[in-house]
Amino acid sequence: MREVSLIMKKQLVHIKGTKEGLVLRLDDQCAYAELVEELERKVSEGGIDSKVDVQLYLGYRYCTSEQMTELIQIVQGPGKMLVSNVHSEVITVEECNHRMLENQCDTYVGIVRSGQVLKAEGDIIVIGDVNPNGRIEAGGNIYILGNLKGMVHAGVNGKENVIIAASHFLPTHVMIADQIEVMSNEQPMVLKNAEQLFAYINSDGKISYNRLQDFRNIRPLLTTSKGGS
Amino acid sequence: MGEAIVITSGKGGVGKTTTTANLGTALALQGKRVCLVDTDIGLRNLDLVLGLDNRIIYDLVDVIEGRCKIHQALVKDKRVDDKLYLLPAAQTTDKNAVNPEQMKNLIDELKREYDYVLIDCPAGIEQGYKNAVAGADRAIVVTTPEISAVRDADRIIGLLEQEEIEPPKLIINRIRKGLMNSGETLDINEITTHLSIDLLGIVIDSEDVISSSNKGEPIVMDPNSKASLGYRNIARRILGESVPLMSLEDEHKGVFKKLISIFSK
Repeated sequence: MREVSLIMKKQLVHIKGTKEGLVLRLDDQCAYAELVEELERKVSEGGIDSKVDVQLYLGYRYCTSEQMTELIQIVQGPGKMLVSNVHSEVITVEECNHRMLENQCDTYVGIVRSGQVLKAEGDIIVIGDVNPNGRIEAGGNIYILGNLKGMVHAGVNGKENVIIAASHFLPTHVMIADQIEVMSNEQPMVLKNAEQLFAYINSDGKISYNRLQDFRNIRPLLTTSKGGS
Repeated sequence: MGEAIVITSGKGGVGKTTTTANLGTALALQGKRVCLVDTDIGLRNLDLVLGLDNRIIYDLVDVIEGRCKIHQALVKDKRVDDKLYLLPAAQTTDKNAVNPEQMKNLIDELKREYDYVLIDCPAGIEQGYKNAVAGADRAIVVTTPEISAVRDADRIIGLLEQEEIEPPKLIINRIRKGLMNSGETLDINEITTHLSIDLLGIVIDSEDVISSSNKGEPIVMDPNSKASLGYRNIARRILGESVPLMSLEDEHKGVFKKLISIFSK
């Protein structure tokens, strides 16, 4: 009898203090309802005086977004704890596929002509020209091996650390994340020499342009292949 | 089995109809059986340029709706003996009277009897364009050295590349030598690199073209005009000959200047 009660007593919510605040490790094998019950009890036990940041560790339990908000509400319910982060070891296949699309690099061979819109979830390489009124929209970076004379939008979903590079850089509109720049005479750097330029968002949060040679200093993390020594 | 070629441009007023009339006549003069089809329903004028307007009895919509047989609607051009025919567009209805599938069947039927079926496309990229392109095997894009015409040509080439036809060929029409040589308009090289399609030929702007269109006689009938030569060369290239591109050098050079240019080479 004692043994059984001991097993039953296995903690479903494990609280641990760290430098960054509390860590709540939630059991990932028990039923969700049990977990909620236990969590509500643990949270209302009190013993915390000031406000504290909390990180939730869900382990291998998959939570829908409704369940996730419910858990967060329970923790924040008494008003003492604030959930700063939720860690989970699992994602759905759908989300995984989406991430793969975001990280892959598409290749388009041909000319993006007036009125055509080329879309990519992740990066895109265009082998050919982008003519005036042609448009490229990518979730990630845009690389053009040809004349860029149309409109380009990198980081459509809000990604700011993306770049737009072209061997001949003469676009009409440059957009990165939620910023837009209309190319006119105010861009002497671009007009003086359109060869091998790229656009990026600089540390001031503005779109700026630079020679491709300076690329590796500005976005060193973009390199994925090793070697060359 | 003949070949259907659509002549299109996107922008209006660059010379699609004139080009269709002249290429058709030039091909007929070379001994080919040619049928011209005007698909600009509601705004027909290919018949006027050919001078056949007063001989129209039935039109394209009559054929498609079964009110007459194809051969009843075809208008023969008597100047080129039994080689050139026109299927005129209807004037009383609009482009929605016809759908692409009907158009394709009609063109397929014409292709059985003629060596070349030239389809004159209306301006724009709507229903009329879709009808005109439906039955075509090849496409010719007409542009002028103006930036607006080139921009629209770019758009239309993009649309044509989506169709299951051969890559389109380019004709640069209305070239004014003086302006082109002084750099006031785009030059041939700029246009072809921008559009990156094969150049089929160039036609030099000439006042004769306007006057001959108004008379209802295609300019190719007049062998002395520069524009006529341009169209004849294009027709020969369509037939598979290789003809060098016409030179744009000014021919009014004095003897002295000619000598200088010989020595400076």
